[in-house]
Amino acid sequence: MIWHITKRELYDNLNSLRFALTTVLLFVLMLINAVIHVQEHPERMQKYHDATTASVSALRSRTDLFGIAQEGPGNLYKKPSSLYFCEEGGDIFLPDYAYGISRVQIANNLRAFWSLYYPGAFPNVFNIRPDTVKVDWGFVIGYVLSLIAILFTFDSISSERERGTLRLMLANSVPRHTVLIGKFLGALVSISIPFTLAILMNLLVISMSRDIDLGTDVWIRLCIIFIISILYLCLFIALGLFVSSSVQNSVASLVILLLTWCVFVVFVPSTLASIASGFSNPMTYDEYFKRRNQDIKDLTEEYVALLQETRGLPNKKIQIDSEYVAKGTEQEERLAQEQLTQQIAQIQLARSVTRISPVTLMQHLLEVFVGTGFERHQQFLENVQRYAREYREFVVDMDRADPDSLHIIGVREGMSKKPISPESIPTFEDTISLSRDFNTATIDLFLLILFFVVLMSGTYLRFIRVEV
Amino acid sequence: MLSTLIRRELLDNLMTFRFIATVVIMLLLVVANTFVLIKDYDRRLASYNAAVNANHERMQERTTYSSVSISWDVVRPPNLLSIFNVGLDKRLSNEIFVFYGFVPTLWDGQVHGSTNPLLNLFSSIDIVFIFEVVLSLMALIFAYDALAGERERGTLRLVLTHPVSRAKILLAKYISAMMCLLVPLLMSFLLVVILLTTSPIVSLKVDDFLRIGGIVLSSIAYLSIFYLIGLLISVITRRTSTALMLAMFVWGFLVLVYPNVILVAITSAESSQERLVPAFNQIEQIWEEFDRERKDYLANDPIPGEDSHLGVAGGSGFDEIWHKAKSTLLYTYLAISYVNKLDDEFEPRVPHVQNYYRTIVPKTIDAAERAWLVRKQALESVFFRPAIVDRIFLRFSPVGMYDAATQAWAGTDLFGLRDFYEATRKYRRTLIDYLYDKNAFGDRKWFSSDKGAVDWDSSPQFSFQRSDVHVSAKRALPDLLLMLMVNLILFWGIFFVFHRSEV
Repeated sequence: MIWHITKRELYDNLNSLRFALTTVLLFVLMLINAVIHVQEHPERMQKYHDATTASVSALRSRTDLFGIAQEGPGNLYKKPSSLYFCEEGGDIFLPDYAYGISRVQIANNLRAFWSLYYPGAFPNVFNIRPDTVKVDWGFVIGYVLSLIAILFTFDSISSERERGTLRLMLANSVPRHTVLIGKFLGALVSISIPFTLAILMNLLVISMSRDIDLGTDVWIRLCIIFIISILYLCLFIALGLFVSSSVQNSVASLVILLLTWCVFVVFVPSTLASIASGFSNPMTYDEYFKRRNQDIKDLTEEYVALLQETRGLPNKKIQIDSEYVAKGTEQEERLAQEQLTQQIAQIQLARSVTRISPVTLMQHLLEVFVGTGFERHQQFLENVQRYAREYREFVVDMDRADPDSLHIIGVREGMSKKPISPESIPTFEDTISLSRDFNTATIDLFLLILFFVVLMSGTYLRFIRVEV
Repeated sequence: MLSTLIRRELLDNLMTFRFIATVVIMLLLVVANTFVLIKDYDRRLASYNAAVNANHERMQERTTYSSVSISWDVVRPPNLLSIFNVGLDKRLSNEIFVFYGFVPTLWDGQVHGSTNPLLNLFSSIDIVFIFEVVLSLMALIFAYDALAGERERGTLRLVLTHPVSRAKILLAKYISAMMCLLVPLLMSFLLVVILLTTSPIVSLKVDDFLRIGGIVLSSIAYLSIFYLIGLLISVITRRTSTALMLAMFVWGFLVLVYPNVILVAITSAESSQERLVPAFNQIEQIWEEFDRERKDYLANDPIPGEDSHLGVAGGSGFDEIWHKAKSTLLYTYLAISYVNKLDDEFEPRVPHVQNYYRTIVPKTIDAAERAWLVRKQALESVFFRPAIVDRIFLRFSPVGMYDAATQAWAGTDLFGLRDFYEATRKYRRTLIDYLYDKNAFGDRKWFSSDKGAVDWDSSPQFSFQRSDVHVSAKRALPDLLLMLMVNLILFWGIFFVFHRSEV
């Protein structure tokens, strides 16, 4: 019986104006998305490739251990995702690199070792072109598809009730939940058909391009993304059915749905994020520089005072130099880390508050599986920090391996003078792992399913008690 | 008769659920966002004041004329009306350093007061955006069944049996619906203004009220466009359900899809390098010529060597930088001297140094001005023209026209922000005149503070005022007229179709 109803709904929809418009709209959007990706992606990969090659060759140009230990690894770049077309995730607002260089001059002849810095991205400071949202899958699914879901379902129960066909149908011995599920599936299938076709067309265009290699891991991710978008679609269909069964006429149902859509999809993400980010006040850049300069000044004063005592004692001077290099490096890294932690905490709070909106949930999930956006950025930062430890350990190990060295790290005289083979210096490799992505996605996935279940059971309860 | 019709329509509309629901949601959104926006404005204002004070302090610390020339930072105040339409106000650089050696423009600025650049991940909302989305939706919901519904129910035929012209019916529908739609619009504006006036940090002036009036006017025109689009759909289609579907898809396309898609679709791959490289070479030539003259001077003066600081004080307290940026065509020469103690052996050289600066600094200014002529044209064609073209394409959707008009009224559009950079260029001229008046280039204090530091009390201060309201009005006028024209065309089209349609 379910299939009867589903089929009837499907035939009704396939002949309707909304189905035709939906198909055209989705195809056009997906085509534009694919064409832009094919144009832009090779350039992006080339840029990343050039940048990493340059930074690796700069790293390998050094052969003395002291130079390696002092100058640091230079720029470390974030690897762009090959699924960029699915969800851009605000990547342009996230810096695509971090760097480790030596910047702190403690005294005239003493410079601290390298430490990690996290630059900010200001892509719009000189950009005078108008603001636009990137047309990626996230946009198509989040905004367009959800709107379409509403337009397909707002009248599915209320108009039948208006016309009296609902009474007719229930006069047969069809249980109400069968009708509901039939209607649900009917709407789901009739939207999924153009959506799936549009996605396939999009993937076809992208995979036909010679410059883009998608890889095998990517197809698993694409399947997950597809499932998430269908789940998201289900959520809005359930919402549509819920309102449609609670309200007497279809116009009222549409008004409620559109307003809900506007509030939750368009306004809640930005408004709540602004409110939530107002609760914390991260260090401004002015404060950061003030503190940094003060710290360095204090350190220099301490060092200069100590240096007076070591006049004529070269061994003691080496000890003190080494100690202050370590101090300077550590304090510089700590301050940069502190600023970063504050910034990330602010964003995380805002992101968790905006989870009320299903579109944010869906976008978070897409970001995680695509490998763009904020979660990915954090993963990149973790990779960078792990690499920084590795790099420092490498210096210590190399020094320890040399019996002629004094093992006093921080000063040239105290460290191994053996030449280092360039290939043995560790290089930075940015990696993404699917299992970790699943872990970060659980909460969002759980919430999305919860929203759906709540709405669907609400719809069921409404519908079985409704008068026809 | 017309008034009877209008009264009937008005009552029909005002009593509906859709009306009340939209008004409530709209007011809630407006209030919530106004609070957020006022708080944000407060933060930006505080950071502006902090930056102004910091710059002032930095300037007071400078002891020589040549060294202060790197600290003349000027700051752009946040625009209060960015609450209505933020435009480019929050985005573009808001601090710029003014120096005699180059003519400042938008691309030489930087950002002050940023706490967390990652916050850009969240898009920011302004009042006009709420209207863009909610009001247009509301207008379409009001309009879609205005005629199709009456035709379905047969009441249209009934009305037309009376001796009423069709034009009058249309007019009555239009006027009454607009009256209804104006209620939430005006209430929202009233609420925002009340919230603004009660906020302690904001003081609204007459100028602001005039601008807000302009924004209201543009909003009405925008609202009317969408109502008429709905009415046109209603006239063309036979059934209300078709009309509704079509109206919703048109809304989705005009508001959601078109503004975001069109720009990526038209972006040309044409590279800006072709235009930038020759311009950069030309600018480089100007500065190389300057450098040759400078070196000639140094070679021919009585002091041996080509030392830029003529060996005064052995080089400490002197910086010489060539500043170049190919992508924005920045090219300049900075020579900053801040010697604070001169040994007696250098005393005979002082007149030579004075002569050197008296000759070279005007040459630097001259080179900067000549380079600017080249730079201005190149930047105009590489950056400004595409931005203008983008905005023309956006105007094919009413959203684009509305956005452009309200930005112009608020002064947050591209031209409004250009005024700021224009003001910095004027300020640079004032500073140079001030230096000439003081005869600063030939002064000992230009390079050394050993005989007393420079007193900055009489130096000109920078202040930026938004351009007058009539200038903004002139900028907003084309878009306003465009919206009126679209209104008239739509109205005429509806009348034409309605006149010939069967009931």
